[in-house]
Order: sequence, then structure tokens, then C-alpha cells
Amino acid sequence: MAAPQVFPIAQVPLTTHAFSPDRSQVAVSLNNNDAQIYTRHGQEWTLTETLSEHDKLITSIDWAPQSNRIVTASQDRNAYVWSQSPDPSTGQLVWKPTLVLLRINRAATYVRWSPREDKFAVASGARAICICSFDEENNWWVARLIKKPIRSTVLSVDWHPNNVLLAAGSADMKARVFSAYIKDVDKRPLPSVWGEKLPFNTLCGEFASPSGGWVHSVAFSPSGDLLAFASHDSSITVVYPDASGAHGLINIKGSTLPYLTLIWTAEDAIVAAGHDCQPVLFKGGPEGWAMTASLDDATSTPRSAGGSPKPGVPPRNAGGVGRLNSAAFNTFRNADTRGGINPGGPTLASPGGVGVESEIMTVHQNTITAVRPYEHGANGEVTKVSTTGLDGKLVIWSVNAGAAGLAARLGGVHLR
Amino acid sequence: MDTAFRKIDIDQYDEDLLLETDLYDPDPRDPSTVLSDAKQKAAAVRSALAKGDNHGALLTILDQPPYGPGVDEAKNLTLQTVVLILNSTKSTDVQPLIKSLDSTAQDTLMKYLYKGMGMPGWGEVSGSVLLGWHEKLTEVAGTGCIVRVMTDRRTV
Repeated sequence: MAAPQVFPIAQVPLTTHAFSPDRSQVAVSLNNNDAQIYTRHGQEWTLTETLSEHDKLITSIDWAPQSNRIVTASQDRNAYVWSQSPDPSTGQLVWKPTLVLLRINRAATYVRWSPREDKFAVASGARAICICSFDEENNWWVARLIKKPIRSTVLSVDWHPNNVLLAAGSADMKARVFSAYIKDVDKRPLPSVWGEKLPFNTLCGEFASPSGGWVHSVAFSPSGDLLAFASHDSSITVVYPDASGAHGLINIKGSTLPYLTLIWTAEDAIVAAGHDCQPVLFKGGPEGWAMTASLDDATSTPRSAGGSPKPGVPPRNAGGVGRLNSAAFNTFRNADTRGGINPGGPTLASPGGVGVESEIMTVHQNTITAVRPYEHGANGEVTKVSTTGLDGKLVIWSVNAGAAGLAARLGGVHLR
Repeated sequence: MDTAFRKIDIDQYDEDLLLETDLYDPDPRDPSTVLSDAKQKAAAVRSALAKGDNHGALLTILDQPPYGPGVDEAKNLTLQTVVLILNSTKSTDVQPLIKSLDSTAQDTLMKYLYKGMGMPGWGEVSGSVLLGWHEKLTEVAGTGCIVRVMTDRRTV
């Protein structure tokens, strides 16, 4: 099985990332007001271009796969669409920004191109979502605002494959499905499970997890007929819509810290990641969902340091209630039971000669901020996903790694 | 310097003011029903405990706990009843008992553990019991359970 490919991009948090259509370049923001494009050379990523126009932190980046345009959203309340054009003097292709008139008075928090790439949605702290379309006459992007009934900051959005419906997760504890139908841009959408008549700003559904919590991430399934969202109560919820309005909700409670980001990899599979520092795979159907594996398999993944799991530290329980076995927990427990610790030191030798390190047993050493599809298989299912985290790492994972890892281990038992 | 202006509630002039009660579904029962329910459950728990049925007692009290504004008496009564069960459970029975609860009941139990720890003066009386249950419950339900207690606006 393929081990995850780990690329330490920077020593600072990566707030978000977006790959170029051919996956040879990646746009990231190093927790500042510049978007940076790295180009892959073998196993190395080198900085090739910096997109500077925002004057506050960039919160989200999306790279349109067909039209090769980048859109960035920032806390300076602006968004820019970047497209490549030849420089008049040198003839080299350079990225040029186009202004977007968002008309919001709070930070832009999240941005995504629509599937047909003729619109994009910008979520914001102004209790609004801007649906932006291009105005040929003035050569800029104009926004129409979805405001009602949003009561707080919108944290994430996701487009339905029909280019009209939009899901939004918000800090008022709700995930919602809206119509983002723009008359001059869209053809009338076919009726779907979410509704038939869909003028702009129609609310097609409003969902919450039983324990509430900010909705950090929303995603439509590949068919668009299901919705999943991750909320701060450490759970994910899958919505089975019903025309009568009696939508079915399946809530899967996690035993670890909350998830911040999720994507569907197939109609029956979701990858979620967040404060627990490892991407996990959920599988299920109408009869129920369950977490099946962690993509970060401690026994088959080369560690960033040392190359093998550290001696003395119990193997991390991928699915279970593992946090009590984490290295950080052990460090504190040792300090408590044995007394004395050299504060701030990365390693210390405990009396048993076992090194206790501040490094945790996952590939990502801090919260994962974004998970995105990286590679698709023959049937359209996502076979590889990419993640970035607050530890400055970019990691590419095989989605079936967890299951394959288990099979490989069982196979190994057979051989012996 | 006059700092009284800092106490002015400027939010009341905000038309779109987001209220605490907008963030969760209110309890469909009215406060008097909630209180009589709580009293009934407290009585049921006592008779169950007398029979040694700690499991049944815990299930009864963790079902539909009172939450929201205006039901403080029912909340206090329920908390006392929960602590009564916790105190009368042998420490060897704690883990199997927790494992037999469903995840919703586990979350609710964790809410009461934190509420109990937050009561002034309770530390000396039942602190070790609450901490013991907390440790066992965290082993079974994980940190996710604690996160849900902190996130949930339906405080007990």
C-alpha cells in the first residue's frame, strides 16, 4: 500500500491549499496576506510565484480546474480572481487580479468556485454569502447576497453539482441549503430532492447536530442528493433529504476532538479531519454510518523522525478513544507521577530510558485545516486526498490506506 | 473617569440580535411539567436504588433532562438525584454501568459531572466520586464527550 506523501512546506501554519488542475502546482497561504504558488520538482515544492493584493490574512483559496483561475478570499473583506495572462514586456505568463465587489463589512471566510466555474460563492462574517458572477460590461465580478435566515458568521460553503444549490455551514449552529440561482448565468435547474422551484435565496433545508456547535464544514455527496456536515460537537451529520421536509439525519458522534473539514470520496464514504490531527474515513448508508479507519495508520506510516514507531509509547488506537495514550498526555502524566520535567525541552529521558517526546504519533503535528480531493479513480471516486495543517505540512493520502493497511497486516500474519 | 458607559447594553439596539435561545431547540415541556417530571424521576430513582438497580436509576434520570431557562429547581433536584446514584454505586460497578449507557446518556452524564464539579463547596463532599466517574467516562466515551458538553447550549 502507498504510504502518505509528506511535504513540509513551511514552519508556519497553512490556512488552506488548492492544487492546480494538473496537480503540478499548489496555492497555499502561509497564514499571512499573500497567496503563494509552489511548483513540484520531484519530491520538492519550490516557491515560484506570490500573489500579493490582499492586505489582511487570506482565509481561503480555490483553483478552478477547467478555467485555470484562482480565487482568494481574505479578512480584508475582499476577494480577487486571478487569471494568467502574458506580461506585455517579457511575454511570460503572470497572474493578474480582478476585483470582486463583495459589498460586505466583515471578513470573507471561505470561497469556492461553482462546478461550471461561471460563479463562485464567498462566505463571510457579515452573516451573508456572496454569490459572484462576472459582469462583462465593467470587467469585474459582482455579488448578490444571500442573507436570510443566516444569524452568524458563515464558515464554509459547498456547491451542488447542478451549479445552483449551495450548502453553507455557519456559527449559528446550522447547516443550510440555499438556492444560488442567478438568472443571467444559470439555466433553470431540474427538480431535485432539495426542491423544485428555486429562485435566488430559497432556503431548501436547515439542519443542526443534536448537541449543536459551529458547523465548520459542509459537503454535498458526489450525486448531490446527500449532505454531510462537521460541527464543533465532535460529530459529523449526514442528511438524507425528503421532499416532504421530514429530512432524515444520521449523527455520528466522534470520541476525539472536533473535525474541521470533510469531503465525500464516494457516495458511501466521507473523509473528515480536524483537531485530532489525522484524517479518518467514515462509511455507511441510509441504515447507518460509522467511522471505519484512520488514513494515518501508525503501524505502516513512516514517522517524520526516526522512521519507526517510538519504543515504549503504546501504539495509537486509530479509531478508538485514543487521546489518553497520546505522547502529550504521557508527558504530563510522567511529570505528575515522577515530578520534575525540563520545561520546553523537546525530549527528556525518563528513568526507564524511554524517550518521551512532545511529538505526537500522527503525521500531522497539529490541527488539519483543509482536506481536498487530490486524485480520482476510474469510477469518479476519490482515491487520494490532500491535507494541510497548522504544522505547515502538506500531505497526500491514499483513501483506502486504512483498509489496505489492515489487510496487509493480516496478510503478514498469514505468511508467518 | 466615568466608565458606566461600558455597562450599557448596546446589543439591545441591534435588530438582528442573536439570542442564546436562538441557538438551541427549546424544551417542548412547560416549566411546571418539567418540575413534576423531575420529582417523579427522583422518587423512581430512590425506589430503584433501594432495590439495588443502579442501572435503571441512571437510565431514568438521564432521560430527557431539564434544560433551558426557568427550570432551576428541576435542574438542582436532578443534579442531586444523579449524585445520589453516583455516590451509591460501587467503584467496581462504574465502568460496566457506563458502558451500558448509549452515547446520548453518556453525554448527559458528563454534563452532570461537570455541573457537580462546578458547584461551590461540593469539592470536599463528592469531588473524588465525581473525578472517579469522570475518569471512567472519559475512558469509554473519549474526549469527544467532553467537547460535546462544552459545545451543547442545552445546559443542565
